[in-house]
Amino acid sequence: MTTVLFVDDEPWFHESIRITLESKGYECLSVTDMSAALDIMNVREVSVVVTDIMMPAGKDFPNIDSQETGFHLIKKLKAEWPQTAIVCLSVIGDEAKLRPLRSFRIEYLRKGEVPLATAIQTIERAAGKGGQRVWRF
Amino acid sequence: MAQPRLDKPGVQTIYGHSYPELETRKLNIAVRRKETYLCLYMSNSQQSRMPDSSDPPPSELATLKAENAALRTELSEARKTNQRYLQNVAHQLTAPLGAIKWSIEALKDSTVPIQRKSKLLSSIYSQATILVHLIKNFALMSNLEADLELGQFRERPEPVDILRLCINLANDFQPQAAESEKTIIVDEISFQNALQGKKVQIVKNLVAQAVSNLLENAVKYSDARTTILIQAERASGPQSANCLVVSVVSKGLAIQAGEVKSLFERGFRGSTAKQKVPAGTGIGLYLAKRVMMLHQGTVGLRTNGKESSFTLLFPMSSLV
Repeated sequence: MTTVLFVDDEPWFHESIRITLESKGYECLSVTDMSAALDIMNVREVSVVVTDIMMPAGKDFPNIDSQETGFHLIKKLKAEWPQTAIVCLSVIGDEAKLRPLRSFRIEYLRKGEVPLATAIQTIERAAGKGGQRVWRF
Repeated sequence: MAQPRLDKPGVQTIYGHSYPELETRKLNIAVRRKETYLCLYMSNSQQSRMPDSSDPPPSELATLKAENAALRTELSEARKTNQRYLQNVAHQLTAPLGAIKWSIEALKDSTVPIQRKSKLLSSIYSQATILVHLIKNFALMSNLEADLELGQFRERPEPVDILRLCINLANDFQPQAAESEKTIIVDEISFQNALQGKKVQIVKNLVAQAVSNLLENAVKYSDARTTILIQAERASGPQSANCLVVSVVSKGLAIQAGEVKSLFERGFRGSTAKQKVPAGTGIGLYLAKRVMMLHQGTVGLRTNGKESSFTLLFPMSSLV
């Protein structure tokens, strides 16, 4: 079963994505901070991490600025779990702030801006289940 | 610098750094005034006229230039703060709407089983409730400014059973608290002892919003599996006049001592709060304070490590 891990301190936001993916046979896990996400990564095999940017870093990273936690998580995932696909789901609209994502070639979905169908398609494609490639910045 | 001003007896209106827009406007005016002064002085100097006794000496010109530069820096900071505040407010409003939009799209998906659709409907309801609470706060903010200027209520105060009000609000927030296994308890005995059969003469909707804001913060920022306590007492002593105190006590955030005074300013969010919940408008406590000012009361905060008690203080004269 393909596992998708959502990392977002506003879990209600991805509820609809989660329910739709579960209806398609995906296993979905949700955590609300970076520490909890890494705890899951250490014990589970995760195909796709869908992460927010502005969220708490959690108990293990008291010095990380919550405004950019997602970038720290992405760096860590790229270094330690390079086989795991990453999709970024956030509210940030400022192109300059999203530059680090471009360098990592990570797809970005703006919360509430892209249609749900596009978000699902992007996550499925990241999980290696086809779909059209769409860059949304 | 912000200076408290007494407009009406007992009604304190604070003009200053708690109002990002007003502050920006004030700074703009100050910078423009300084620039005009500098331009006039420079133009007079260039006309090679004989120095006038009213002209500022060169040392004063240097001071003015330095002040002007400092004001420009302050203005630029105020603009940035204002921009951040507006972005934050925009996020708070659009996030629930975005979630509702996606939930509706998921509802239309025929592959989603009917049991899961009821969960989506609950989610839509919950997001709509959050939006209503938020929009009420913004509407209230605008009304309260006007009411405080006039020193009068928009609605007529009435005798209210504040225990019942708190129980109803606790029930409203209980589902949200239960999501992280938090419990809200209303200490009825403390209310009975403090009220001694009396009601409180207040504008019910306003005080309900103030208590809601304290409760919302407690639910949002307290640790999972903790208890949020709502209690009342009569207080008197050298530090406070005789008053009825309604407190919301919770455990979760250690509030920084240096931030306590700013917590009740509009748009301010404590550093530990931002770390725990990055998004927020920072108007809940500000509104609670404004509501209490309109009731000739005030707000307070007691902290002890991670435990904090946010209080609404009503004058004893409001007990009827």
